[in-house]
Amino acid sequence: MSPGQLLLFAVGGLANAAYLFIVTAGLSLVFGALRIINMAHGSLYMIAAFVTVVVANRLGASFGFWTGLLLAVALTGVIGALIEILVLRRIYGQEHLVQLLGTYALSLVAAGAVRILFGASYRTVRPPDIVSGSLNIGGFRYSGYAVFMIASAVVIAIGVYLLLYRTALGRNIRAAVSDPELLNVSGVNVSRLYTTVFVIGAGLAALGGAIVAPSQAVGASMDTDVLVLAFAISVIGGLGSIVGTAVGALIVGEVISFGLNNQYTNQFAIAFVFIIMAAVLTVRPWGLFGRPEQDL
Amino acid sequence: MISNSKRRTWLAGAAAAIALVGAACGGGTTSSSPGSFKGTIRIGYSGALTGQSQLYGHAISQSIRLAADDINAKGGINSYKVETDVLDDGTTVDKAAANTRQLILQDNVKALIGSVNSAQCQAESPLAKQNKVIMLAATCNSYQLTTEPDLINPYWVSIVPNTYMEGTAAGQLAAKTGAKKIFVVSPKYLFGVSETNAFVASLKRAAPGATIVNAPETWFVPYPTNPRWDSTINAIQAAQPDLIYSNIFAADQVNFITQALQVDPQFFKKFPMTTLSSVDDLNTLKDKYPLGMQLYMRAPFFALTNSRMTDFVNRYRAKYSEYPSDWAVMDYDAMQMYAQAANAAKSFDSDKVRDQIVGHSFSSLRGYSFKIRKEDQQANVGETIGTTASSGGKYPFPTLSSPTNLKGDDLIMPTELVSELKAGKCEKNNDPTTTDFALCPSWKKG
Repeated sequence: MSPGQLLLFAVGGLANAAYLFIVTAGLSLVFGALRIINMAHGSLYMIAAFVTVVVANRLGASFGFWTGLLLAVALTGVIGALIEILVLRRIYGQEHLVQLLGTYALSLVAAGAVRILFGASYRTVRPPDIVSGSLNIGGFRYSGYAVFMIASAVVIAIGVYLLLYRTALGRNIRAAVSDPELLNVSGVNVSRLYTTVFVIGAGLAALGGAIVAPSQAVGASMDTDVLVLAFAISVIGGLGSIVGTAVGALIVGEVISFGLNNQYTNQFAIAFVFIIMAAVLTVRPWGLFGRPEQDL
Repeated sequence: MISNSKRRTWLAGAAAAIALVGAACGGGTTSSSPGSFKGTIRIGYSGALTGQSQLYGHAISQSIRLAADDINAKGGINSYKVETDVLDDGTTVDKAAANTRQLILQDNVKALIGSVNSAQCQAESPLAKQNKVIMLAATCNSYQLTTEPDLINPYWVSIVPNTYMEGTAAGQLAAKTGAKKIFVVSPKYLFGVSETNAFVASLKRAAPGATIVNAPETWFVPYPTNPRWDSTINAIQAAQPDLIYSNIFAADQVNFITQALQVDPQFFKKFPMTTLSSVDDLNTLKDKYPLGMQLYMRAPFFALTNSRMTDFVNRYRAKYSEYPSDWAVMDYDAMQMYAQAANAAKSFDSDKVRDQIVGHSFSSLRGYSFKIRKEDQQANVGETIGTTASSGGKYPFPTLSSPTNLKGDDLIMPTELVSELKAGKCEKNNDPTTTDFALCPSWKKG
């Protein structure tokens, strides 16, 4: 493989990783603070993708896309708040299986609603003009939109990091992860904090859905398409760790990009992701960048 | 605080829940307009209403409902009203098998419409055979379903051009382009392997000088597929082929084309593509579907113009506000064929109905009559080939310029090959999973 081809496949892996990171970041954040494995995360991502496509196709790709993105984040944030207030608050203290089934039920409701509202057909939308070009490096073409996705993932990662480590809200979120009981008695409104975290998680899912919409067929099954790899990334990186999510997404993205292209690894490229996940679970069950529960 | 073992339990629960998500169900039973009938019979369809192939399964479910309405408007079958019983397989094999059991054992359907995907049909066929229920395949099309000794089912009837017919036609089409370096991309399951092997065998014969530039191990991408196609697109850029051959479909085709065009708006001009396609794929991408693509299609309504088709398209659009896909056309034919045969048999007994199907001819929306031959219970249905071009505003999607409707009799597998396949002479080391007509003695002789 020439250096040019190496770069080509590395950037391809980055694009895949960016898409996966954007989708998984909210899932990981919610788990870290709320200890909820949110099976409806993919639904929020799907709803946002549909909103973006519908608005962008109505208003025109460029203006419409950005408007759609903002609307998708706002709408999904509202839906997230309602989910947290009306459903999750009632099951925080329950068995984790109840939490799983509760959020799974929400995902089924969302899937049914999307099918009724938007039908079974796929929808597509053009990317906004400013990011629709392509680059030529070393004789190979690179998608401008893929570069935009990579840049978006980096911005989101930095944003979430700053939120967690440079703001009062972030301090409270980290405190909620470490010791929610202590946080409760220290005067912080934990209920409101949890709602805020879930809304942020929903917003990240929405950003993921909105950003991937111009590069994929938007359909009523895209919620489940992404969830399996998102959980694999969370497990590899460490549930609750944003850095871990980024590293996990990078590993998965590059493994798929290089693995599929090689005749000796093609057959196992996707399976290898889950082999890595199983190995991490065996050796370091809290993930590469997560922390054991007893340390929290 | 939560222990590591509890965390593992969560993860196991999460994995179980993920599996449940894939098994989400839908569909249901619908009835047609009432009439003076002796009673009601059901025709079952387990298909993809969700998941990777939902685009196609959705069209089929609509089409067979319209067919049931039309059949009932003409008195039903043997004076019984026809209902369709539609279940969602989520584009998964295990759900397809479970649905088929339910349709046969609980819902007591008289016949089954085959699923979208060959993998699902492969799981459904033994159940239909065991319970002696006629199964009409109008979308899943691997020739192994009708010729591989372990899969042969006397109640299985195929009225879709099978992978031999499509793959060899595509191989000849590619050979005519004069391409010397060809890149292959295909889904990794029975259909993709079957059709790609047929393409390669045909290409080798029609254009011995042509080479496949990617290693055979990389022809197939995992299915259902990761929505990002970066690896394949980059591999094509690295290989610089004269032609891409693809039989990826539905969401995969839409995603691949979308992302390739984002890499380079001239991608398919630099790397022309010969691919399986359908009205659904064209209609999803609309004006974003590249022009100049060489397509092979099973039953595009716009290329098979005749008065029955026009009437069907008008009524389908009036009912569903959509253009009928190739799958809608073929599955409508399947329903009508069953009605005609069961009426002729004056019975719903599968053996008697089959006797009225095999060896008989049936009129088709496609503008010709097709016949189900005895050797493999395969219909001599045709295939349409052509190059994508603007429809000039007639449709919201491109169509084919100067489409050619290949005749089924010119495409259908030679009976000698069928005999050899059925005798298990076309396998490596007697392994049925390796069944390939290119291994048959008569094919090797040329």
